[in-house]
Amino acid sequence: MPLYNFKTIKVVPTGKDFIDIVLSRTQRQTPTVVHNGWAITRIRSFYMRKVKYTQSNWHDKLSQILDDFPKVDDIHPFYADLLNVLYDKDHFKLALGQLNMARNLIGKVAQDYVRLLKYGDSLYRCKQLKRAALGRMCTIMKKQTASLAYLEQVRQHMSRLPSIDPNTRTLLVCGYPNVGKSSFMNKITRADVDVQPYAFTTKSLFIGHMDYKYLRWQVIDTPGILDRPLEERNTIEMQSVTALAHLRAAVLYIVDISEQCGYTIAQQAALFHSIKPLFASKPLLVVANKTDAASIEALSPEDQAILRELVVEAAKTSAGAGVVLDADALAREANLLKMSTLTEEGVMDVKQLACDRLLASRVEMKLQGKRVKDITNRIHVSQPQSRDGSGGKADPKSARPACIPTSVLAKRAAATSGAGPSQPAADAEETELQLQERLGGAGVYSADMRKRWQLSNPGWKYDIAPEIIEGHNIADFIDPDIEAKLADLEAEEDALAAAAAAEGIDMDLDDLTPEEMELLGQIKNRKRVLVASHRRRKSAANNHSVMPRGRDVDRIINTDQMKKSLDWMGYNTDKAVARVRSQSRTGRKRMRSEGPAGMDVDGAGDVVMEPPQKRIHSSKSRSMSRGRALSTSEPGAGKGIRDASQRNKAIKISDKAMRKRGKQARRGEGDRHIPDLKPKHLLTGKRGKGKTDRR
Amino acid sequence: MANRCQFESSSEVGVFAQLTNAYCLVATGRSENFYSIFEAELAEHIPVIKTSVSGTRLVGRVTVGNRNGLLMPNSATDQELQHVRNSLPDEVVVQRIDERLSALGNCIACNDYVALAHPDIDRETEEIVADVLGVEVFRQSISNNVLVGSNCKFTNQGGLVHPQTSVEDLDELASLLQVPLVAGTVNRGSGVIGAGLLANDWSAFCGLDTTATELQVIESVFKLRDSQPSNIVNELRASLVESLA
Repeated sequence: MPLYNFKTIKVVPTGKDFIDIVLSRTQRQTPTVVHNGWAITRIRSFYMRKVKYTQSNWHDKLSQILDDFPKVDDIHPFYADLLNVLYDKDHFKLALGQLNMARNLIGKVAQDYVRLLKYGDSLYRCKQLKRAALGRMCTIMKKQTASLAYLEQVRQHMSRLPSIDPNTRTLLVCGYPNVGKSSFMNKITRADVDVQPYAFTTKSLFIGHMDYKYLRWQVIDTPGILDRPLEERNTIEMQSVTALAHLRAAVLYIVDISEQCGYTIAQQAALFHSIKPLFASKPLLVVANKTDAASIEALSPEDQAILRELVVEAAKTSAGAGVVLDADALAREANLLKMSTLTEEGVMDVKQLACDRLLASRVEMKLQGKRVKDITNRIHVSQPQSRDGSGGKADPKSARPACIPTSVLAKRAAATSGAGPSQPAADAEETELQLQERLGGAGVYSADMRKRWQLSNPGWKYDIAPEIIEGHNIADFIDPDIEAKLADLEAEEDALAAAAAAEGIDMDLDDLTPEEMELLGQIKNRKRVLVASHRRRKSAANNHSVMPRGRDVDRIINTDQMKKSLDWMGYNTDKAVARVRSQSRTGRKRMRSEGPAGMDVDGAGDVVMEPPQKRIHSSKSRSMSRGRALSTSEPGAGKGIRDASQRNKAIKISDKAMRKRGKQARRGEGDRHIPDLKPKHLLTGKRGKGKTDRR
Repeated sequence: MANRCQFESSSEVGVFAQLTNAYCLVATGRSENFYSIFEAELAEHIPVIKTSVSGTRLVGRVTVGNRNGLLMPNSATDQELQHVRNSLPDEVVVQRIDERLSALGNCIACNDYVALAHPDIDRETEEIVADVLGVEVFRQSISNNVLVGSNCKFTNQGGLVHPQTSVEDLDELASLLQVPLVAGTVNRGSGVIGAGLLANDWSAFCGLDTTATELQVIESVFKLRDSQPSNIVNELRASLVESLA
């Protein structure tokens, strides 16, 4: 998330490596075989390609370096100044400028030599020109060796800079060397900065993070500063000054009142005054450290006065930062903030006060900005208006209490009364997760879905209930009245049974006559045979070849068979056999009777057959049985036809006229006809580039 | 008590569970991690039911319910319905409804007394919601979005709505629902409140990405752990302004 991340800059190779990289890349990526016998243009382009490729390679690599390094003028002033302090801005800019210049020079060299190569008249000359071009490029880059080495060092150093976000909430700890800045940092964050009992243990900026008021804060530990003119300050001190100058942070100026750091309170106050301009418009706190070693009360009156003066100055500066101090804060302000990083006494107070100050000032500033309008709804709680006027809340019917189970309330009460808030009950049920871990882990463990079912009888939990019976989804038949309906049915059945008993009807097998018993036996036998043969055919004989019906004695259809089966079923077969077609045809002419007089098979068939509808269309392909639907509606006026019968007649005549032509399969006007397959105007003349069929 | 949790690396926990004052539905997952978070927190008070709905895990988005009842979409299978009915006490009515907008959780938001519904929802559905859940139903949209269930979450104690709801709309909604409301986000700035947050009158669950400030707003507005909605205006105000503006 850091805005400035210098860790992604690519490694800058040394001058010699750089040359090797680029030249070997040219060697690998361009063709290497050239022959004397080639056309001279080909030879020229072979070498031109090498020159151009090398140039573009240099260009890419140098551009990469130039893009990777931050532009000092574009980045946040804090980082710009830090770069200046650490690496000297001029030197840095110069190095990058030289690389840029080298890039341009290489471009020019390539351009010149490509131009010369156009006039190369032999392979040897072309080759010499290429050598000269590459050589000059390398010479240019060889001169940049120092810049490249410097940039590589800068890169390595930058990648180790702490990633400080200049815009976020920041606490800045500053003061003389060895006053306890790093100890304070270690107490409030987990940065684990090195703490040693000598000056300048911290040689650069260190960053730590902490949480307060649900926000993430960064704490910057700065190296100690000595009281001397700006020009004389060394790089280590200048880093502190840079941070103080550019970060909008809460500044904690730490004073060692035990004077163990080697500087008197007066000296520390002098430093405070000399760097006071850096604190302008920032929340500022003066903190007296090492109260374990010396108490304020034990200090000399002069020192106490100096400290008081510091506090007043700090309050003034803070006031300039837009921090409005209420009476309480002023009262606290009157007292010096005391802490001991050794005993941790007062450390948290200092942290909280500093954070509150900074937060207040930042919020103040943000409330004046434009963006606060977008978030007014986020810091506004809409309280409901009582809907039915004044009596809304008082009316018990419209009261809407929360529904919290009593068990939850009981548990809360137990927790607040301190009866052991979070002690897990010994008899607490094992959670599914624990079960899963115990029984093989995720993917192996299969959870019991029915474990928590709440049924009227817990014994039913694992009963197997059918979901589908005979293709019917049971759920479809469940309705709220099913119990009542079932009871009704059962009552009805009981009533019927009672009625039957009263009438003496008994449906037992015992009182069947012997004939009936035999018939029943036959039916049952026949059924059994059918089922068995079906099963056999379905399983065992599934793959056998099928005997044609005409050859199969059992399945052949003829009069004998029909007679046999009808006999078996107990019908009188005389009339049926007499009506069989083959018999009816023999020896006598077809009768001219119209009605189906002879159709009556065995008295049951008094079916009245419809006479076949008279055909209009003459086509023989249509089955008589189908009886094409004839239009019975009157033909419309203007067709020249009187009525439906005349129209039907016309259809018949037209059908007849078509018949002969249809038989000969001659061409008619309804057929597809292409008048000219190869039109001359499309197929003569020169062909252009287009297609041949659409000219 | 608000918890942060995650369903199979997704912070949209409201999609995979449904929480009410009387029961909790949780999607079946590859492992029991997600289920056990709810089980540990709720199982001693209310039934926590592991189920799928219409064969999907999107339990929270396709169902809607409160302490009185549970509505399932038309596509829910008979087996799922049976399982849920068996797991719930008899006071809770489970009903499957034929509604074209079958993501009921997205289209309807409710507490135990009042419900907001998608403006295009069927009249019949509206009546069923009123009968089964025992609520007043209002057809509403929130910050010009008709998916009221996705864009807000409210209980009998309070509610959180989409961050782009204007203050006037907030006041109107608060009066309609008779609970305090605040506009907010979950899951590090997500406005899809219904998907990122589960809440009832005494507990809440939100996605793992939820920030500390978001969590505090949620605890305050839903009155969890003795905090009150007024906290947002008082104690939390500075943190909110600082982190948002």
